[in-house]
Amino acid sequence: MPPVVIFYLILLLLVSAVGMYRYHKITIPGKILAWSVIAVLLCNVLNKVWSAVYHTNAPILHVESIIEFVFYSLVFYCLFKNKIIKTIVVVCIIILTVFFCLNAMIWQPIKSVFPTNIYLPTLSLFTIFSLLLFRQMLLYPLKINIVKQSVFWFNAAMLFYATTMFFNLGMTNYYSQHKWDAYIYYFWYFILCTFHVMIGIALLMDNRETQAGT
Amino acid sequence: MEKVTALVYLTAGLFTLITGFIIYFVVLYRNRQLKNKQEQEKRESSFRQELLKTRIEMQDQTLNRVSREIHDNITQVLSFVKLNLAQANMPDEYQRAEKIAESRELVAQAISDLRDLSKSLSLEHITRQGLVKTIQAEAARLTKSGIIRAVVITEGEIIPLGEQRELVLFRIFQESVNNALKHAGASDFKIVLQYIPEMFILTLEDNGSGFSPADAGKGEGSGLKNIENRAALIGADAAINSAPGEGCRIKINLNPLKNDHYPDG
Repeated sequence: MPPVVIFYLILLLLVSAVGMYRYHKITIPGKILAWSVIAVLLCNVLNKVWSAVYHTNAPILHVESIIEFVFYSLVFYCLFKNKIIKTIVVVCIIILTVFFCLNAMIWQPIKSVFPTNIYLPTLSLFTIFSLLLFRQMLLYPLKINIVKQSVFWFNAAMLFYATTMFFNLGMTNYYSQHKWDAYIYYFWYFILCTFHVMIGIALLMDNRETQAGT
Repeated sequence: MEKVTALVYLTAGLFTLITGFIIYFVVLYRNRQLKNKQEQEKRESSFRQELLKTRIEMQDQTLNRVSREIHDNITQVLSFVKLNLAQANMPDEYQRAEKIAESRELVAQAISDLRDLSKSLSLEHITRQGLVKTIQAEAARLTKSGIIRAVVITEGEIIPLGEQRELVLFRIFQESVNNALKHAGASDFKIVLQYIPEMFILTLEDNGSGFSPADAGKGEGSGLKNIENRAALIGADAAINSAPGEGCRIKINLNPLKNDHYPDG
């Protein structure tokens, strides 16, 4: 297993441990986030096993994409205050879950083809949700320092993840044509590691009592 | 090689853009926090000033009432006692005893009136007794004086609303009593205090001459404007309904749990 993958798995394990250790102190969105990291860790471990046994990880990527989307969207749902935006998030979860299932059955069969169709809508939605949450933060600023707010770290992580991954996926064909597969590989892990470090900070900063008192 | 350089620049540009956006957001957020803090300080300062004004007005009104009570009631009673005692040297034993007994009763009444007055002199009364009991005592005093018949109705489980809020609400009550007596010439005054979950409603109703909503902002209507301003000060809504010949109805709605930007919130 390449060192970067081992590093990424250890990082996921650490962030999961932070989430579980602080589980009783964190807010509901924090709890969902903690479970999402555990789900991503399990999917990544399964991914490696599946690849070794069946020589493809497409089915795991299909499942992981749905799980990630639902978990992160639920976190956004809990963080938004506006009822209309909350409803839109729920509608997006339902529509995209149906789309994921259809995609896995019809357009990009779950057994063999990677679920690239779903990255465009999910990453676009994460960018929009993230910008809306930044707007909400500006409309209702809390008294505590912004770098001590878990919502800021989560939102910054989501914006970073959605935009850089979008860029990376957009450039994939170009990299492949020029045989820069290593570049895709390392850039991909760089994005994932940075994203999970920020999620780890968000879990460390999350505090049920502080949020209630502001 | 040129393509690699271009790609590196493109990637670096993307990261700079995201980092720049986040830094810009942090600066914007801090400015907003600072602005909010300044606004809150301004609001608190304005509230303190208004509260001081309310206290002064309450003291002024209380002193006026005390002065009136001493002049109209206690002085009269004591003068009567003085007159009785002047006649105490009359030869008839029975009449003398009767005069002394009468004087003792009058002195006891004067003592009782003075005790009531001393209670109402203290602004801490509302803090100790709470809004409901203070309004009930004031209503009883008004009815006893014969100038107006005041009725207090309370609904729901009484909960404290906070000292400053109760002080402002009591001042609103005093202001509306003043309006009912001085301008509306009302004979009945109804006070309803409703404590329903997450909401407190104070309704003040008189059967006076009423007024047209168009006249509400003019002259005597400034008292009503004061009521609206004071309600806003504690995060409450004031609705004033009146029509010529139909009395006046003032309704104050306050959510004690929701209005956390206001004092006592």
